[in-house]
Amino acid sequence: MDETPFQMDTRGAFSFPENHKYDAGFGLTEETIDYICDVKGEPDWLRQFRKEALRKFNEMPMPTHWAPAEISGVDFESFRYYLSHGATPSRSWEEVPDDMKRTFERLGVPEQERAFLAGVDAQYDSETAYTNMREELTKKGVIFVNSTEGLKEYEHIFRPWFGKVIPVGDNKFSALNHAAFSGGSFIYVPKGVKLAQPLQAYFRINSESMGQFERTLIIADEGAELMYMEGCTAPQYDSATLHSGVVELVALKGAKIQYVTVQNWSTNVYNLVIQRGLAMEDAEIRWIDCNLGSGLTMKYPAVVLQGPRAKGEVVSISLAHSGQLQDTGARMIHAAPHTTSNIVAKSISIGEGRASYRGEVNVLKGMKGCKNNTECDALLINATSRTDTYPAITVNGNASAVQHEASVSQVDEEMLFYMQQRGLTRAQAMSLAVNGFINDLVKEFPMEYSVELRRLIDLEMEDSIG
Amino acid sequence: MDFPASMSMEEAFALAEAEAKLNAALQESKARFEQAVLPNRLNEDWRFGRPHKYATALAELLQSDTHTQGEANVQHGGDAAVRLTAEDEDLRQTELLMPTIGSDALLGLHLERFGSGYALYIEENTAEPIHIHYSTAGLYTPSTFIMVAPGVKAEVVEHHEGLGEDAGMFVTRNIQVAEGAELKISLSSNNMARYMCITNIQNMGGAVKHLTRHEGHAWAREETVAETYTEGSDTRLFSANSLSGDNILDQHTRQIHHVGGATSDLLYKNVLDDKSTAIFAGNIYVAPGAHRTDAYQSNRNMLLSEKATVNSLPGLEILADKVRCSHGSASAPMDEEQLFYLLSRGIPQYEAQKLVARGFMDDVLARFNGEA
Repeated sequence: MDETPFQMDTRGAFSFPENHKYDAGFGLTEETIDYICDVKGEPDWLRQFRKEALRKFNEMPMPTHWAPAEISGVDFESFRYYLSHGATPSRSWEEVPDDMKRTFERLGVPEQERAFLAGVDAQYDSETAYTNMREELTKKGVIFVNSTEGLKEYEHIFRPWFGKVIPVGDNKFSALNHAAFSGGSFIYVPKGVKLAQPLQAYFRINSESMGQFERTLIIADEGAELMYMEGCTAPQYDSATLHSGVVELVALKGAKIQYVTVQNWSTNVYNLVIQRGLAMEDAEIRWIDCNLGSGLTMKYPAVVLQGPRAKGEVVSISLAHSGQLQDTGARMIHAAPHTTSNIVAKSISIGEGRASYRGEVNVLKGMKGCKNNTECDALLINATSRTDTYPAITVNGNASAVQHEASVSQVDEEMLFYMQQRGLTRAQAMSLAVNGFINDLVKEFPMEYSVELRRLIDLEMEDSIG
Repeated sequence: MDFPASMSMEEAFALAEAEAKLNAALQESKARFEQAVLPNRLNEDWRFGRPHKYATALAELLQSDTHTQGEANVQHGGDAAVRLTAEDEDLRQTELLMPTIGSDALLGLHLERFGSGYALYIEENTAEPIHIHYSTAGLYTPSTFIMVAPGVKAEVVEHHEGLGEDAGMFVTRNIQVAEGAELKISLSSNNMARYMCITNIQNMGGAVKHLTRHEGHAWAREETVAETYTEGSDTRLFSANSLSGDNILDQHTRQIHHVGGATSDLLYKNVLDDKSTAIFAGNIYVAPGAHRTDAYQSNRNMLLSEKATVNSLPGLEILADKVRCSHGSASAPMDEEQLFYLLSRGIPQYEAQKLVARGFMDDVLARFNGEA
């Protein structure tokens, strides 16, 4: 270790004793749903809704066009679908249990720093454990609660958009989430309110074989602007854990939403997340996505460009080391004229890791002046690394322009040689080269995330090369 | 198995081993046909291709008893050209082993009608391009086999012609190019209600240039699998098509690098007018250990009408190191500036559009002819 400037980080490689007040057991049945509804005290319409979704989930086949073959390895019976410390989320920092505070500290988010941030809605297991919102936000009329509370307190705003961007029957995992969802955030930013500071949520999975089915809905009313950040580091466990969230964004006329994710689950986690945004007239949605962890990730952030001149963007970084399949990508549906979209995806495969880009760009019939640009670059570190690119591009009509470029390359030996000659170790040189490869994308992330990201990449390189 | 007396023990073993391998492959291939189902909506390789409509219609025609045949002719073939018969077991086996892109079941139906077409065993440089011409007014299912011997330079021109409104053709093509050989082969096809062509190129260290041009087909599907077996192989695939009316062109390609140190390149361009549809699904596969591979793939589409549709699926699967690979796909309308330039020179709109479209495609032909 002396020869590198990096410190081995053991944060995240730990777990605390499990102490759950509510536990719905393994597998998903009508009884599980009744149990979840009873615990959460949910209205009847939601109970029926969940059961209908469960029926659809059982009926629907596993996806084919949109899935790597490894997805068939998911055994739905082996997961727990609901776990919680209690039905009421903690309100103040003092109320947060001590062991959770320790988890946050090890995550590198000290108490005072969190108070400094605009609002931390940290997820500990399925429920919100800690919610801290600055009064300012409340004054502006911003709603930032967990999804259970959102459905209870703000049904009039939540329900009209509930399952509208990602319908129940969209695919098998959407149905699963609709049936079993708990946790996640509900955010509403009123007309014209522009949030200078980002909203944050830390997600944790801290119970073996526990599925997390967050449901996040963010609505930015006309002219509103916000950035939402979601980061995950999960303790390591033995058996597989299923994470199948649904994130829906609605950007009304002229609104802007940026959604930032840094995902670093341990490799026994299945990370199957559906993220989709609806951009109305002149609205803008950006997904900034970084996948470092989990054994199998399937995540394709999408933007449906529903209003004229709407803009969509996906910036994606993924890193796959041995035992990992990062199947990530982006989808852009141009459903209105003069809409533009941009996709920049970079992936790094290390050891026997496999990183895939799977994308869809669709310019629907009768649309004029739509533009898309897609770039995917892959970097292979070892001889056994694998990378794939599977884009699907559909253009209707002669008034839109779409282009896609992809390239695969290795770290230049000469570059490494040069750096090693200057006294860097091979791991350091490699780490520098990889950081250089994704440098322009890392810049897109908020400051604290880009620092964290670089540090994580350093660690990955050290483990695989050093 | 009988061995000639002159054969050494080692040679006999090697031969026996090769025979065993072939038998295993044939068994496997037979199993493949037994398991194959006709292309349906779940078949990834027929994505956007409406298999329930077109594959089903073709299969029904192939299964019907009316074995309408067509004409097969060869020009400048000399000793190299051999007319195919149903009794040619070696070539039947070659077809049995050929890969498809999601159409095993259709290839199975083609095999049942095996026995027409031409084989070219090219052992000397061709002075003039060898012409193969297939034509039909009904449904014709010929096969083409081309083998180019080591170090030989050859040029082949293939033409598949539809003679009536109902004409249909389903062609299989196997092309083998030996070390140091050079093959330049162009295929043009036109005017059929349905047209399907499955091509397998096996490059064992030679240089292949392959061009396809399809025109005026109501429905056409091209599957081209270009395999690289030897270091130093160089395979270049080109296609240039101009679609109009209700034309559907469904093109699928695979550039498979079994070994490293080889090059493949692909350039497919389409100009789409009226209500035409083009599908391009390409894939570059670099096998584990096929290091130092250079592989490129480019699909360009020019859309001239607001009813035209392009589906482009350029794929990469890289399992090796020190690989240089890239692909690109672009679909856009005609460049307004180029058009404006021609219009300002007094060329009428329609003529100017035709000129710009021709310029767009000429680039492919120039590269095929080695001019660019």
